[in-house]
Amino acid sequence: MTPTEPLVHGAAAAQTAERPPLPVKMVIAGGFGVGKTTSVGSISEIEPLTTEASITEVAAGVDDLTHTPRKTTTTVAMDFGCLTIDPTLKLYLFGTPGQERFGFMWDDIVEGAVGGLVIVDTRRLDDCYAAVDYFEHKGIPFAVAINAFDGKVEHTLDEVRWALDVSEGVPLVVFDARERGSVRDALLVVLELALARTEG
Amino acid sequence: MADGSPPPGADPVGPAPAVRPFLVTAGRVADTASGRTMPVETQVVATAAGLGALAGLSFEQHDIVAACRRPQSLAELAARLRLHLNVVRVLAEDLRAAGQLTVHVPDVAATHDASVLRRVIDGLRSIPDSRGVLRDTD
Repeated sequence: MTPTEPLVHGAAAAQTAERPPLPVKMVIAGGFGVGKTTSVGSISEIEPLTTEASITEVAAGVDDLTHTPRKTTTTVAMDFGCLTIDPTLKLYLFGTPGQERFGFMWDDIVEGAVGGLVIVDTRRLDDCYAAVDYFEHKGIPFAVAINAFDGKVEHTLDEVRWALDVSEGVPLVVFDARERGSVRDALLVVLELALARTEG
Repeated sequence: MADGSPPPGADPVGPAPAVRPFLVTAGRVADTASGRTMPVETQVVATAAGLGALAGLSFEQHDIVAACRRPQSLAELAARLRLHLNVVRVLAEDLRAAGQLTVHVPDVAATHDASVLRRVIDGLRSIPDSRGVLRDTD
């Protein structure tokens, strides 16, 4: 397939020889307005980009007498960013879109991710249940990150852990989505967990 | 952050098309009998043949090959060209089959390898708390 005689010359030809980096994917999940895109923007080397993707929503229909979940494919806006680790390695951060009152099938976006960060606003804890359930079900290493809006957290970590019913093995951190170093440290917690799993 | 303003250097080609997301793929959707869909972070690069054939390519095909002078993920392509992700998946596969792009589906075993995770960890750790003055926007 690859011609031996390049049809272009100079810089363009050199660029086509460029080997793409290995892309490592992490997922940032949580309810609406919880700070997903802000987190991506704080650490990404590009302004967060938005693209349309398809997710499958599983409607939790109480009116459905057949108990067959109604599945609909919906086009949603997905925000993402990236960070070049070195010329051969690039970290991609994808925010999971969706409506909180539905179940999710984010597989199309999440498949192959090394880990997830579930962002929580302690004033609206139940917004993140779907994300916690998803990562637990998929067996993807994840941490719960409480976004300290204005430096305030309404509940203690123990209260949040109890309310979310996450196991002791799931790290819980407080962070600030607007602070680059804070987002970096939250992602590191997830990566350390993923690493421990590969070694364990 | 998601205020809709175009990112610097991203060079979008115009407003999002209102009606015809899958017209350009002749109605085909991404996941077909061929099996698993390409992950969103799959890297795509133009071949010399693709760049040489640019003048003869139409609209979306042209824009994709042109954008892939540098390696891009499917997600970046979709965002920058304002196409639905699944449209890009279909077109990228067509262009790969025509020899105009190379498509690098990430190997899950490689991305989950301990040595790779360690490199990501080390790379992230070296990032300062706040941004420097320079930002790579191109």
